[in-house]
Amino acid sequence: MRTFLLTLAGLAIGGTALAGLVFSGALNRSVVSRTVETPLTAEQIKALAPQGAKVAAAADCYACHTARGGAPWAGGMPFETPFGVIHATNISPSREGIGGWSRAEFHRALRDGIAPGGRHLYPAMPYTSYRGMTEGDVDALFAYMTTRTPMPVGNAKNGLAFPFDQRWTLAAWNFLNLPASVAEPNPERSELWNRGRYVTEALGHCGECHTPRDLTQGLRTSKALTGAVIEGLEAPDITPAGLTHMGFSAASLATFMGSGLSAQGAATHQMFDVVHFSTRHMDRADLLAMAAYFFDRDALTDEAPAVLPEPAPVAADVAARAQATYAGLCAGCHGAMGEGIPHVSVAMRGNASLRTASPSGFVRAVLAGLPAQSFPDGERMEAMPSFAADLDDAAMADLTNWMRAEWGGQAPTVQTRDVAAVRATLTTRHAAGD
Amino acid sequence: MTALPKPQTLSLTVNSKPVSMPVPQGVSMQEFLHEWLGLTGARMGCGQGICNACTVMVEEPGKLPREVRTCITGAHWFEGKTVRTVEGHARQNADGSLTLSPVQQAFVEGFAFQCGYCTPGFVTAATVLIERLRAAPVPREAVERVVSEALDPHICRCTGYVRYHTAVRDLVLATPGLVTA
Ligand code: FES
Ligand code: FES
Repeated sequence: MRTFLLTLAGLAIGGTALAGLVFSGALNRSVVSRTVETPLTAEQIKALAPQGAKVAAAADCYACHTARGGAPWAGGMPFETPFGVIHATNISPSREGIGGWSRAEFHRALRDGIAPGGRHLYPAMPYTSYRGMTEGDVDALFAYMTTRTPMPVGNAKNGLAFPFDQRWTLAAWNFLNLPASVAEPNPERSELWNRGRYVTEALGHCGECHTPRDLTQGLRTSKALTGAVIEGLEAPDITPAGLTHMGFSAASLATFMGSGLSAQGAATHQMFDVVHFSTRHMDRADLLAMAAYFFDRDALTDEAPAVLPEPAPVAADVAARAQATYAGLCAGCHGAMGEGIPHVSVAMRGNASLRTASPSGFVRAVLAGLPAQSFPDGERMEAMPSFAADLDDAAMADLTNWMRAEWGGQAPTVQTRDVAAVRATLTTRHAAGD
Repeated sequence: MTALPKPQTLSLTVNSKPVSMPVPQGVSMQEFLHEWLGLTGARMGCGQGICNACTVMVEEPGKLPREVRTCITGAHWFEGKTVRTVEGHARQNADGSLTLSPVQQAFVEGFAFQCGYCTPGFVTAATVLIERLRAAPVPREAVERVVSEALDPHICRCTGYVRYHTAVRDLVLATPGLVTA
């Protein structure tokens, strides 16, 4: 709450000071070139659309712009931000969506964050990342989006408090947070690394979740990809050190992104949606390029298979209580030795969720459960029940500490208050054990 | 965690009878019911926590009864608990005859089950629902929803869903005290 008030005050003061500049137009720094003023021909659109489908997958447009159970591309997906609820908009080519937008207008929305009529987009739309997209990819995406079925679905009203409902304040936000120029390829690095950076930063916008934000909710680029909390859950550290700590290698990371499953476990929570709607549809070459970039390598070489972490010591009483819980509630599916059951439940031995800095993702999965998830090639994992009614905070802390130590090699530092904090985010349904 | 099952005394109450015996660690509740107690009503369907054919009722004083899947829950998790399996619902009369529980009777009258494999789970689910409604009645309009929610996790391969649902809904509506005015 204190952060929120500070942010509120900061933005209000900063916003007022910058208002003059905003209205003078001094802050509009477009990266869109004049060439896109020329419309694309019908033939060009037809030829570019298939490439646009790949760009849309890599940029993960669908996951946000389609409400679960809603019409494709028609928006409506709600996002909780510290400033209130924002809804993704209709981006199908209907009157309510991007119907009638010119090529140049589409470019400006995507790369400058400004829709036709000068309306500023909220930065929940990752235009700060898309700013780095090439003209060719934006054209392809435009071609793909304008050839989707128009969906006549109105846009949901946003629930933002003053002054965040004032879109002009976003010009000030952009002044602070929108890079003036975009990253050029680094000639000192390989083509693989540069492609990986482009796919990761500009298209995949991984940093939007995995990079911490400052008071204005701008990305702290000095801490890029070191992990952040988003909608109450930890998006882990995915720097080379963070990934290695979770047990990933470049090859297993590419496998994880392409299939949602690897020896490190299954993609869960928001990352499942990322895999489901985006990365599983990407070319293997791009996944490998991303993996190379994440591990900061110019080339990928054969790797030795990952070594499981050595168990960390745990107090005997904690271990005894945790083992009783594990045998009673977990071993039925995850195996007495944490080995899991193929196609049913993931192995816990070496599971990345036991190795992240914060235990919150693991605790949340155990307390709230997880829905059944399907992965490419008919692979699936069954639903995980909710154990909120079975395990109190102390029992959950014991279980978390023991599992993290035994199978994740982490020091047992989880406190009951860490569990309580996660429990506070559960719905009444979870708490009742239904 | 040891790979060799070590016996450990397990004491609990099953169908109103106290039970206490050594049981190897790592045995599931379903195996225990079937192999140690001869109670085979809690069925093995998927063995993975999906079908709910294996559920039993856990009744703890001061708490609402709950449904627990025995296939994925260790026997020792039930230490000290009070459990009702499908064998514990009907009442045995002095002459040896049985009086079915209201839920069982409703299923028979409604032709709800066919092969009967899933039925123990449905009996458990419906009974838990009725006990919970007794503690916290719901408005009439909510009955369809709460019945759906209670039966939803249960899979019936013979697809008797509509008849199960109708039987439970009608029983809820006909039983005094489960629905607010
Ligand atoms: S047998 Fe237990 S849920 Fe299917
Ligand atoms: S009655 Fe046959 S499975 Fe349900």
